[in-house]
Amino acid sequence: MATPTYTPLATTTLASSASSVTFSSIDQSYGDLVLVISGTTASATTPIMRFNSDSGSNYSWVRMDGDGSNDTSASGTYTGASFGRIGTAQSVIIAQIMDYSATDKHTTILSRGNLPNDRTRAMATRWANTSAITSAEVIADATTFDTGTTLSLYGIAK
Amino acid sequence: MIRSATRSTLTNKVNYRSMLAGNDPFSLGDFDLLETTTLASSASSVTFSGLGSYTDYKHLQIRMIARTDRSTNGDAFDMRINNDSGSNYTYHFLQGDGTSVSSSGTGSQNRILLLRIASNGDVANSFGGGVIDILDTLDTSKNTTVRALAGSSASFQQLALNSGLYTSTNAVNEINFFPSSGNNFVTGSRFSLYGIRG
Repeated sequence: MATPTYTPLATTTLASSASSVTFSSIDQSYGDLVLVISGTTASATTPIMRFNSDSGSNYSWVRMDGDGSNDTSASGTYTGASFGRIGTAQSVIIAQIMDYSATDKHTTILSRGNLPNDRTRAMATRWANTSAITSAEVIADATTFDTGTTLSLYGIAK
Repeated sequence: MIRSATRSTLTNKVNYRSMLAGNDPFSLGDFDLLETTTLASSASSVTFSGLGSYTDYKHLQIRMIARTDRSTNGDAFDMRINNDSGSNYTYHFLQGDGTSVSSSGTGSQNRILLLRIASNGDVANSFGGGVIDILDTLDTSKNTTVRALAGSSASFQQLALNSGLYTSTNAVNEINFFPSSGNNFVTGSRFSLYGIRG
């Protein structure tokens, strides 16, 4: 029998600007997580996620952008899992956090970021750690999420 | 309409104010997990079959995370529908590899090429992920279209927006995945199939 899924786990709509939002004690009974951010930041940024409070340079990323004039691709490592793009115009990011509860593989994050007055972006990111993700701190990174920005976390059964 | 149950002649009866009669509420949902394959040993392919029985759903989604035993960095993977190996597919992709963005596509192919997952040439424990949508799977008036976002940020880094077309109006009864290199998906690779109501 089919198992209904795509279950909302937590949603935060900011009552005041914030530099980060933390999802803690994440339910381990799902296969994938989906993080949806709808809103704006004080300045354009590539937000990051830190899993289980890991602030080491353990996150690698590759991205491709189209800004209306140029298409570009870049890669690197960072102290958080870079994903999507958000800025001063209403933006939407959807990030797929694959097999977050597994302990036999690094975590892969696939994301799309749509910042309509700037660019559209796709990214693949890897957390080089086989631990199950129990917490995720979503950080605006050098800026703040604006009041009214919504961050929602969903669980998908596997 | 039941207006009253107070005149029941049943003994030891319990009168419920809800038609759930003490059972937990339930929901069929609009996005349902149908099947999952997690490889307990390496395999040259992964197949979902008997999909014609999922008549409650208009679209299918496959969420997968996989790695192959190819010895060089990274791998692509192929998708076939109904195990059809004829030249009945078209595919395109827009990819970024950390250096540049490029696009490619071709028709009359024997599979839909999807980019990109990790391989044994990559750092240990790294996998690639993908979210693949297969649209209008049981509609026999149109060819089947596929779209996907997939990628890997391992030693070999690449992600792609993929699209595919199966030039057949047959209902989708089976979906097959293969490593493009001809190698195997490794243990721990997972493919989960979901149904989306329409």
